[in-house]
Amino acid sequence: MNQAAFVRTRLQARFGPAAALIGLVGVLLLVVGCFLPWAGFAGFPGKMLNTAPGGSRLYVLLLALFGVLFRLDWPGRARALRGASTFALVITMLTVLFIAYAGGGLVNLGTGAYVALAGVVLYYLGAQSLPEDDVVAPVRELPDGRWRVLIETLLVVGVAVGALIIFVIGLGLPTASVADGPDHRLGGAISLNDLTNESQFLCFLLFVCGAMLALSRLGLVASVGAMTKKHSRVLVAAALMSAVVFPFTQGGNGYSLRIAASIGVFAAAAVGLNIVVGLAGLLDLGYIAFFGVGAYFAAIFSGSVTSVIDMHLPFGLVILLGAAISGVFGLLLGAPTLRLRGDYLAIVTLGFGEIFRITVNNLDGSAGPSLTNGPNGISNIPDLTLPGGFNFGENHLLFGVDLPFQANYYWLEIILIAVVMTAFLRLAESRIGRAWVAIREDEVAAAATGINTTRLKLLAFVLGATLAGAAGTVNAHVVKVAAPDSFTFMESALLLAAVILGGMGTVPGALLGATVLYLLPEKLRFLQDLRLLVFGIVLVLIMRLRPEGLVPSKRRAREFHEPGGGADALSAPPGHRGTA
Amino acid sequence: MDLFLQQLVNGTVLGATYGLVALGYTMVYGIVQLINFAHGEIFMLGGFGALTTFLALPTGTPTAVLLPMMLLGGVIVSVTVAVLMERFAYRPLRGAPRLAPLITALGVSIALQELVRNFYPEAKSARNFPQLVDPNRQFSLGGDVTINAPSLLTVVVAVVGMVTLSTYVRRSRTGRAMQATAQDPDTARLMGINTDRLIVTAFVLGAALAAVAGVAQGLRFGQVDFRMGFLTGIKAFTAAVLGGIGNISGAVLGGFTLGLVEVMATQYAPEPFAGGAWKDAWAFVVLIIVLVFRPTGLLGERVAARA
Repeated sequence: MNQAAFVRTRLQARFGPAAALIGLVGVLLLVVGCFLPWAGFAGFPGKMLNTAPGGSRLYVLLLALFGVLFRLDWPGRARALRGASTFALVITMLTVLFIAYAGGGLVNLGTGAYVALAGVVLYYLGAQSLPEDDVVAPVRELPDGRWRVLIETLLVVGVAVGALIIFVIGLGLPTASVADGPDHRLGGAISLNDLTNESQFLCFLLFVCGAMLALSRLGLVASVGAMTKKHSRVLVAAALMSAVVFPFTQGGNGYSLRIAASIGVFAAAAVGLNIVVGLAGLLDLGYIAFFGVGAYFAAIFSGSVTSVIDMHLPFGLVILLGAAISGVFGLLLGAPTLRLRGDYLAIVTLGFGEIFRITVNNLDGSAGPSLTNGPNGISNIPDLTLPGGFNFGENHLLFGVDLPFQANYYWLEIILIAVVMTAFLRLAESRIGRAWVAIREDEVAAAATGINTTRLKLLAFVLGATLAGAAGTVNAHVVKVAAPDSFTFMESALLLAAVILGGMGTVPGALLGATVLYLLPEKLRFLQDLRLLVFGIVLVLIMRLRPEGLVPSKRRAREFHEPGGGADALSAPPGHRGTA
Repeated sequence: MDLFLQQLVNGTVLGATYGLVALGYTMVYGIVQLINFAHGEIFMLGGFGALTTFLALPTGTPTAVLLPMMLLGGVIVSVTVAVLMERFAYRPLRGAPRLAPLITALGVSIALQELVRNFYPEAKSARNFPQLVDPNRQFSLGGDVTINAPSLLTVVVAVVGMVTLSTYVRRSRTGRAMQATAQDPDTARLMGINTDRLIVTAFVLGAALAAVAGVAQGLRFGQVDFRMGFLTGIKAFTAAVLGGIGNISGAVLGGFTLGLVEVMATQYAPEPFAGGAWKDAWAFVVLIIVLVFRPTGLLGERVAARA
């Protein structure tokens, strides 16, 4: 960190006056380079051959557009330019490397690649040599006027639609196909062929990160964020609409809808866990077990041929009962343990998660009573049917579009998320939600102000368990199987990571975290065996660099970044140390 | 009766491992209130460090040289990783809210497991560990009750380690400084105690004991596995909580208690809940019961005042 700042000071001293000029020349070169072919051969993914920019070239071109800031004196421009140019540099270099690899050497690079490389390096140098910003970018507001509300509303709708577009593009980019020719492996683990095939997704991801970083350093993200707060109903409606129309954008591709539905389940569970962890501050390390209770309940009572109980309850009843039973488990576990300190709760929930997994693994008739079919789990859960004769397992024609059956489950997930989200938002704004936050911040102080901490903590815990149970019943129908392998400690850890990565205590955070954590392993197959390793390292890095998560609540961000705002020097929260 | 006594012995052996690992949890927790989830991985790395040492030494080295060298190798690996982990993962987070270091610990734990799995040669499944101490050599403890050589070694090493540690913490200057820091870090610092160094010391001591346990585990089962730290880690933490976390004698007591409970439940639990398939479940059931009726653990008086 300090070294980077030092290098920057040197650069500023040497190139300072000419920084904007260097940068502009670089941007011009880069734009020209983007309209020239980068690859001298056909076959590289992402349209590198012709003159119309596509794939990585388009991303670099868009990042180059931030170059106009060299001529504008906006607050925060130096930091924004540094962000945009760094990501443009990384994307360009990666793409050139991939093309060189796929083409078998540097000879196959097109002229555009060289021009763009030269341009992006100058762009980067120019941005690094710019003098520091004097002021931090402020949160802007639109000027008062007749059109203000309309423009704000359109911007807010644009946020939702933009998120949909990013998601659709990201999902649509190819994953590793069957490699042709001999594969090379990096460090014995990473397949370079897969990496080349997936480079587009990687570059797209880098582009989104770079653009968001630059925009947020200009203060635009915060400004639009303030508008979404003001027009939160518009945002919710627009987001819901975007989510509902998503299947129509997929052109009958059932696979991507299945992924989207799985993300939905994962996200619903993450939002539920966010009530427990994000709002009430209770660390639940066995949350997946409550999810599993619901899933197994649905699996057993939905008429699967592999279930020992031959009973087919209607779906609505299954959801309600599954959620209720899961809630009862939460109550039984929470009631005696919630008066304990936080760390003990963590270990008890962890223990419960393990007990659940071991139990469903053993109830196969040999090590215990026959109920769950042991390690094989209960499979072949039949498709859902609604009373009107609507079968979830069939394709349906809607508005002239033939939708694969996965769309039905996808929409079911959307309803589930909507319910969980509503519960979360209504609770967070309520007296109960404020009490939870008070308990999270300082339990002793909360109790002193008359909050019944034990009862409220129990409420959060049971509610979280109930929502997880409901999500579990739905998920059993989506994946059509309930098996012990899906309910390991690693799953609980992943859910927790989704909440933390996204930002504790916020709904968009949990949704974003769940999407990213689910999609990355699906999309970055080239990592293969290293996925978990990368995951672990990322977890550590996030805690170090951005512990409040990607979409933090205001309060959390303050807690992590203001000196003295957090706990004392030895990491215990203030209230826990008073009587030592 | 012999069966019961035999299970008592088996439980003690199991408990010795838990106790050794639990000491690391309890010491770190006592000072920084951090559940170091990655401590189980330190235990695992001890086993792998010893294996590496074994493979590096020329064949034909006498066991009397080999065994101490392996122990030393395991300890060096574990201690190095623990110190690096403290320096680069946990120390920057001091002052952050409680959840942050816990999640970091989770990440470190996953990363260490995966590092071994991916980059240690042929470690994707269990690797054979040299059976230097013959497991078929049985010692009679009266009647039909026996204990085999590696198990006896485990217990002996564990007891020596525990006694040394508790003497060190009670008698030495550093040890008393640790106790002072655990009681009240701010006052301890005012008294001129270098808390940063003490925290490192706690990590080092814990890692050394965990490494010893890891080597003992390898000798006893004849294999080491990148997964072996996870469950042992969780159970050792359970043992620490059971004994009253932050309390050194408590960790030892908790370890032995947990080991005995696991073995006895496997043997005597009502059908069909007996047998190896249920033993882990029983360990956690006991934990929950103990926490409900004695939330501060068996010896946890001192910590109770702080809650």
